[in-house]
Amino acid sequence: MNYERELLKGSTDSLLLSLINRQTTYGYKIIKELEKRSNGYFQFKEGTLYPALHRLEKAGLLQGKWQRLPGGQERRYYYITPKGQKALAERLAVWQDFSTAVALIVQPTIG
Amino acid sequence: MPANSNYTDRVKSHLRLDTTIESDVVREIRTHLEDKRHELIESGISERQATAIATRVMGSPELVARQIYEVYSQGSWLQAIFAALPHLLVAAFFALHWWQNTFWLLGILIAVVGTVLYGWFHGKPAWLFPWLGYCLLPVMAVGILLIYLPGGWAWLAASAYIPLALIIIFSVTKKITRKDWVFASVMLLPIPIMLGWILALWMLALERQNGFLSHEQLYEFAPLIALSFAALALTVAAFIRVRQRWAKVGVLLTLEIFVLVIVALGGKSSINLGGWVGLVLLAVILLLGPALLERKIRQDEHKPLNLYRKSAR
Repeated sequence: MNYERELLKGSTDSLLLSLINRQTTYGYKIIKELEKRSNGYFQFKEGTLYPALHRLEKAGLLQGKWQRLPGGQERRYYYITPKGQKALAERLAVWQDFSTAVALIVQPTIG
Repeated sequence: MPANSNYTDRVKSHLRLDTTIESDVVREIRTHLEDKRHELIESGISERQATAIATRVMGSPELVARQIYEVYSQGSWLQAIFAALPHLLVAAFFALHWWQNTFWLLGILIAVVGTVLYGWFHGKPAWLFPWLGYCLLPVMAVGILLIYLPGGWAWLAASAYIPLALIIIFSVTKKITRKDWVFASVMLLPIPIMLGWILALWMLALERQNGFLSHEQLYEFAPLIALSFAALALTVAAFIRVRQRWAKVGVLLTLEIFVLVIVALGGKSSINLGGWVGLVLLAVILLLGPALLERKIRQDEHKPLNLYRKSAR
């Protein structure tokens, strides 16, 4: 089992919701943003992004809409829904508690 | 960009979803590949290399298509119940002896025809195909009634009718296979079961009274016939609810064979081992045959395109 891959698999939805919550965006830009914000740590196999986005959309956490840009190109922009915002808040709270608990155990005790 | 369109073609051919979802997914992936390609070209890479890199970093098109298929392939519980409903109606038809009541008979007929027409003209959703299977029933029933024609007429009529019936069933199957072959399998699912029960009843009638079916025999078999169609309803509901394609096919195959065991061993069924093996073979052909048909259709459709690509090189 690849530990890093498993961790990423469990966090993909939260990462995507978090990114889209800051700004409505589209698939290609999401890949770029994830790579940029994580200093190159998160490098997705690009095709795997779309099943994740569509899964979140089907669950009602995101909504995708086609938009035509001034240059004539079309992009499918993703918006977070109120249900998605609620789910993100819950996940972030769980993640915060989890990472605090892990840190308490992993970090060396002082004194 | 032939490489990009080749990639999206491969995604599309493995998606097997509603056309609106399919076109959205393909369009989205195409714009992604375009963006990637432009970025690479701007960084100084040749067009050919840029296309190759853009498609490589996307990953396997078959895997992408399979993962997206699994997002949309699971129907709701309501859809599962609606898909199972025609089999439940047939189960109720035998369990409650509705064949004696013209009102119920007409009611079921109107429900089947009405539902099929509605589903056919509303995007052919997954729940339509079990209903559609029952529309093929009159085609089979007429063929069976020909047995009762006097003397040599039965053979003459059968030899003319059977090819015609096969053409009708084949052309409907081909049309459904273009959407997705597993839907054709779902549509054909009740045929081996019906033939099995007809065979069982006919053989019993032959043993007892010169091939004519009596009410008593139908009463004897009715609970088991009802049970077998209730099992079919369960099969279809499970088919709608599972996400993975292999699991959908597995559910159809396993439960169909289980139902055929009920047909062969149930009550006073006199179907022998040879007859049962024949029914199982027919079930396997009807369930997996549409997959071969789909491959043939796609090969035929891609032939002119492949010839064009070869000549362009």
